[in-house]
Amino acid sequence: MIRARDIVKQYRDGDGTEVRVLDGLSLDVADGDFVAVVGPSGSGKSTLLHLLGGLDVHYQGDVEVAGVKLSGLKDKELARFRNQHVGFVFQSFHLIPNLSAVENVLMPSHFGAASPEARKRAESLLDRVGLLAKKDRAPVRLSGGERQRVAIARALFTGPRLLLCDEPTGNLDAATGAGVITLFEELNREGITLLAVTHEDRMSSAARRVLRLKEGRLVEETRPALAGGVS
Amino acid sequence: MRLAALSQLVRLSLARERRGAFFSAFGVAMGVGALVFFVGLGLGVGRVIRERIFPNDARLVDVVPPAVSLGSFLGGGKLDTPMVERLQALPGVETLYRKMSVRAPAASLYNGDFFGRKMRMGMDVLAVGVEPGLVEGDVQLGKFVDPGPGQPLPGLISTRLLEIYNNTFAPARKLPTLTPSLLVGFTLPVDFNRSYVTAPLPNVAVISSQVQVVGASDRALLAGVTIPLDAAIRLNREMGQDAETYSGITLVATSPGAVPGIMAAVREMGLEIDDQERRLAENVGAAVTLTTSALALLSILICVLAAVNIAHALSASVRARAKEIGVMQAVGASRSDVRNIVLAEAGVVGVAGGFLGTISALLLALLIDRLAVSYLPQFPFKPESFFSFPWPVVVGGVLLGLLAAVAGAWFPSHRAAATDPARTLAG
Ligand SMILES: Nc1ncnc2c1ncn2[C@@H]1O[C@H](COP(=O)(O)OP(=O)(O)O)[C@@H](O)[C@H]1O
Ligand SMILES: [Mg+2]
Repeated sequence: MIRARDIVKQYRDGDGTEVRVLDGLSLDVADGDFVAVVGPSGSGKSTLLHLLGGLDVHYQGDVEVAGVKLSGLKDKELARFRNQHVGFVFQSFHLIPNLSAVENVLMPSHFGAASPEARKRAESLLDRVGLLAKKDRAPVRLSGGERQRVAIARALFTGPRLLLCDEPTGNLDAATGAGVITLFEELNREGITLLAVTHEDRMSSAARRVLRLKEGRLVEETRPALAGGVS
Repeated sequence: MRLAALSQLVRLSLARERRGAFFSAFGVAMGVGALVFFVGLGLGVGRVIRERIFPNDARLVDVVPPAVSLGSFLGGGKLDTPMVERLQALPGVETLYRKMSVRAPAASLYNGDFFGRKMRMGMDVLAVGVEPGLVEGDVQLGKFVDPGPGQPLPGLISTRLLEIYNNTFAPARKLPTLTPSLLVGFTLPVDFNRSYVTAPLPNVAVISSQVQVVGASDRALLAGVTIPLDAAIRLNREMGQDAETYSGITLVATSPGAVPGIMAAVREMGLEIDDQERRLAENVGAAVTLTTSALALLSILICVLAAVNIAHALSASVRARAKEIGVMQAVGASRSDVRNIVLAEAGVVGVAGGFLGTISALLLALLIDRLAVSYLPQFPFKPESFFSFPWPVVVGGVLLGLLAAVAGAWFPSHRAAATDPARTLAG
């Protein structure tokens, strides 16, 4: 599902010095896998996610996601890739405040092909995340966990096979976070590939593989506690 | 991006930015409204000048004999029949109409009932004979030909004279206002070779005659009475005056474009052109155009300010919506999608403002015309409307609104398209 090779990403600091956030990073994620990327805040987890999802093109190296080679894609093609092949889930949900839940879920439909079934699909996805009854509520009238479920429904709208999640439980308390993690596990069982970056253990313990970002590269984490395997 | 999706997203953000959108549209409406108003005023006043004050046909050329004639030696400069034939033969001349003044003074002494009022008044009048074709269509009674000696002569009066009479002379003397149709059939005595102001022709008897008004015409003599050409010829002959040369020829060009060529050829022939009216009309028209252009320029300035205002408002709104734009990019918006959303948003504001401004201008013009009817005193050539709004002005108003808004949105839309989602979505 994901094949990244020799990724180098650097930012210019305020004082002009170059900071290498990703430094020759390579990554392979198989179809249907559930991978957690861990690392302290500021280690480059979000940066990695953005470039895997085609939101950032300023890097060196090759990325291929869902069979699409991202390097060299034009802006329109990249937009189409984001619309069709990946779903993003963010820490702070990023719902559009003056849109109802169902309208937020429908957001990707505006940038893809027209479908008379769009609203039906949005409603069935809200049903899937347990929020059909609240489909017409504005985000402010939903709890944090509910907002994140709406965001997940939105990420799933165009039927991507890969979800890229940036600290999806970071803004949730333990109980609601656990609910969201359970939802991710269900989605993964249905065949959706998940790549979740986090600096929290409760998320990584749900994943099948845990990778640690260290000095701009990923290293496989061995976890004796999970030696028996999770499936 | 599909149009339906675009319109939905535009509706969405306009609903959010209702206040800002309203003020932006209002600014556009001010500029467009002022422009449409002043252009309409200029066109309206211009129309009054062209059609009523100086109603001259762009295809007509008035030829007169030169003031100082060299014709006696050169065989030119005299408007006699051979000259008329030469004029007729000029390229671009479709037809011509001859005119001959009655070459003696004339006076009218009116003593009797004047539309329900007793009137006794004497005054000198000028009389000119014209070919019926020139005033065809303005004659409402009988045929415009010489009825023969002793019969009342058909006469046309100037529509402009009537306008001036109705709006200055009549109110001042408490006389009734007259319409052309009211005047038709009215008969007044005219004595040829009689005058209150100049000496009559020596040894020529006075010819007492009657003139019956048969209509009013733009082409009639302003300060006098216009009679059939053959009547003028007969009168001149009866009084022993020149009945062979014409006092003027009106040429009709095949098209307005042929006029300059004809004018040059006419001058070449040693004749002059009476273009006083045309020049006056052009000068007054130019003054009106200049004034309204200045006001229109001012309005365009308002439109520019409206565009700047939109640029400001949109820049702020785009900055405030950076996250939202980032979300749209994450779910599949390309940079051009983002740009189009912002441009379309401004476009809607601009069209709404342009529409509002144009409608306001039309309503204000209507109101002013109404008020002018009831509150402005009557004056000559007072029009029913001071405005003219041909459809290109109306459509142009709306389009200008669109243009101003899109111009204002240009920079903010590109800035929005340059939003870096990786930055706005992080954290
Ligand atoms: N737009 C940017 N300009 C400069 N530095 C940046 C920018 N975005 C991120 N960084 C830096 O890159 C590093 C990694 O950031 P990020 O990927 O957001 O980390 P994480 O998600 O792991 O907390 C940080 O040191 C951050 O300061
Ligand atoms: Mg981060």
